[in-house]
Amino acid sequence: MKRRAFMLSVGGAAAGMVLLPRMAFAEAGKIDWYTSSDQNILDFWTNVVKPKFEAANPGVTLNLVDAGDGPGNIAIGERALAALSTNSDPQADYFESYDPRLPDGAIDAGLFVNMKEAGLSNYSKVNPLAIDNEYSLPYRGSQVLLAYDTTKLDPANVPKTWADLVAWIKANPGQFIYNRPNKGGSGGNFVRRAIYEANGKDPAKFTTSNFAELGETALPPAWDILKDITPALFDGGAYTSGNTQSIQLLGQSAVTMIPAWSDQALSAIKQGVLPETTGLVQLSDLALPGGFSRSTVLSNGVNKDASLKLADFILTEEIQSAVLTELGGFPGVSWDYISADLREQFKDVIPTTIPSFPGGDWEKAINEGWYRNVAPNVDPNS
Amino acid sequence: MTTTTAVANDIVGTKRGRWPVGLLLVAAPVFLVGWMIIWPIISAIGRTVWLPNEGGERSFSLETYAFFFSDQYSLNNLWLTLWTTGVCALILILICLPISLYLRFAKGRLAAYVQGLAIFPMFVPSIILSYAIIRVLGPNGTVDLLLNSVGLPKIRSPYLTPWGPVIGLVWDNIPLTVLILLSGLGAVSNQSIEAARDVGAGRWALLWHIILPRISNSVLVAVSFTVLGIFSSFTLPYVLGPAAPEMMGPFMQRTFRDVNDPTMAITQAVIAFGFCIVFGLFYVRSVAKNRAA
Repeated sequence: MKRRAFMLSVGGAAAGMVLLPRMAFAEAGKIDWYTSSDQNILDFWTNVVKPKFEAANPGVTLNLVDAGDGPGNIAIGERALAALSTNSDPQADYFESYDPRLPDGAIDAGLFVNMKEAGLSNYSKVNPLAIDNEYSLPYRGSQVLLAYDTTKLDPANVPKTWADLVAWIKANPGQFIYNRPNKGGSGGNFVRRAIYEANGKDPAKFTTSNFAELGETALPPAWDILKDITPALFDGGAYTSGNTQSIQLLGQSAVTMIPAWSDQALSAIKQGVLPETTGLVQLSDLALPGGFSRSTVLSNGVNKDASLKLADFILTEEIQSAVLTELGGFPGVSWDYISADLREQFKDVIPTTIPSFPGGDWEKAINEGWYRNVAPNVDPNS
Repeated sequence: MTTTTAVANDIVGTKRGRWPVGLLLVAAPVFLVGWMIIWPIISAIGRTVWLPNEGGERSFSLETYAFFFSDQYSLNNLWLTLWTTGVCALILILICLPISLYLRFAKGRLAAYVQGLAIFPMFVPSIILSYAIIRVLGPNGTVDLLLNSVGLPKIRSPYLTPWGPVIGLVWDNIPLTVLILLSGLGAVSNQSIEAARDVGAGRWALLWHIILPRISNSVLVAVSFTVLGIFSSFTLPYVLGPAAPEMMGPFMQRTFRDVNDPTMAITQAVIAFGFCIVFGLFYVRSVAKNRAA
């Protein structure tokens, strides 16, 4: 009887939780903020941006929501677009990192605030190289580099060029892994670096609009490069399903080297997820690509004005310096607007250029092409 | 026998004039099923066979299905999904049948703990389970550390191989399977077992001739339920499985989001649905059989 009572109460509690009303209304003065970035970015907002912004703007609070991944963010974007057409509450105000081209037609429908014309006092400080379009606001940059275990690989012998890296991977089978290109930027940009390698190492060759001419000839040689190293990867050709899982494998000492986001690797070392003996290195012949994260503000959000204040706030010197010191990223504003001591302190790690691979059709073709050409290239009988 | 039927009829109330209440009671769920399940299915099938041509006009075409069934990559994904589902269902029955038999016949405190333990996976979200499995069974994970400390070689880690999702999915589905089998075992009366024992039936004879025939329906229901869940599972195969071939869940999601090809993603979903409906029919048939009996 006791067991039955236990089962009944457990079942009842579970059913009750499912039936609880899940209603939510946007609140004036509470900015609903969404991100698809990794945990370190959410931590940065929770511990640095939120307290500073709320102290500077009494009466306004930030509701930080983790949307999981890019598609999670886009789902919120789709909901906001639907709300726009019915004039209802989108229950969202601000995207931490978002491409306003999605969902299709969102810009034309007027879903996003035009940042250039929004009257932000700090807009003129934004690094012109980082601007993608007028509807998104670059505020932090990051690059992918190689993280490795210095106890297994002497920093003096670490590969510094793509050719050295490939030679090292082949000489040390099972010690390298990168994640699936659609499941996180570290593996995605490693794959894009291979595409540069196969096409004369010239980032200028690739633009958002030239996939139609270049796509068919540019990608296959890159797949050949990646297929060539497959047998020497971890487990004879395994790929993790995200940035975090790669870091986990390096942390468990299962591999010696991974591609990783600079900011994520730095915070992992700081938190002890990666040991202090972790080394970081960038390729010197052509850096692994990276990019800027750009925020967007919804034009139909209940807290649009407060959100624009927030957008202006993250471009202040205080937050931009924190992006460097706390987050390990690059500022979204031009270097002239960063304090002189910080400029001096970080001059060695500040890249002169971060190649940034175009999205759009390229992204779709890479996501599909890699899965069809590189991923299955494992002999099931081996 | 006749008396019991008469009593049952009285309880249910077969008198004419009462039927609208019954119909009203089922109207809401039937409407919901029609609106939220049947209609989306029809609309999905329509969208995959009624394709726009270059001029934007829609006409009947089986192009996307022809592509799926002629594309080795897609077929490999489908095959992996069927393999994973089959292996999981088999392992689940092999693990859960002994547990439920034990729970049915054992008494006392220990049985309560075993039941609690068997139900526990129900309360663990699969994303947490995934990372825990990487920590425990992954390369240089807890199991490797334990083996290493007693001087044994490392295990071949199932992480990022097809066995990774199998282990996770089996663990995740134990509670449901145990509960269904346990409810089926409730129909096996103590008298029939004692009667069989009295005439000298051994343990295996009991299981084979008395218990299994009584619970075959429950086994079928348990298998259909787990198969339906596993076929469309997402998180565990996504985090623990290999990059390629992928299971249908991650494959559909990637086709829809990352490759931005909704028509193909819906085609994959309709094909997955086609396989699932077979098991759904098993379930419906067994329920119908139960009611008729």
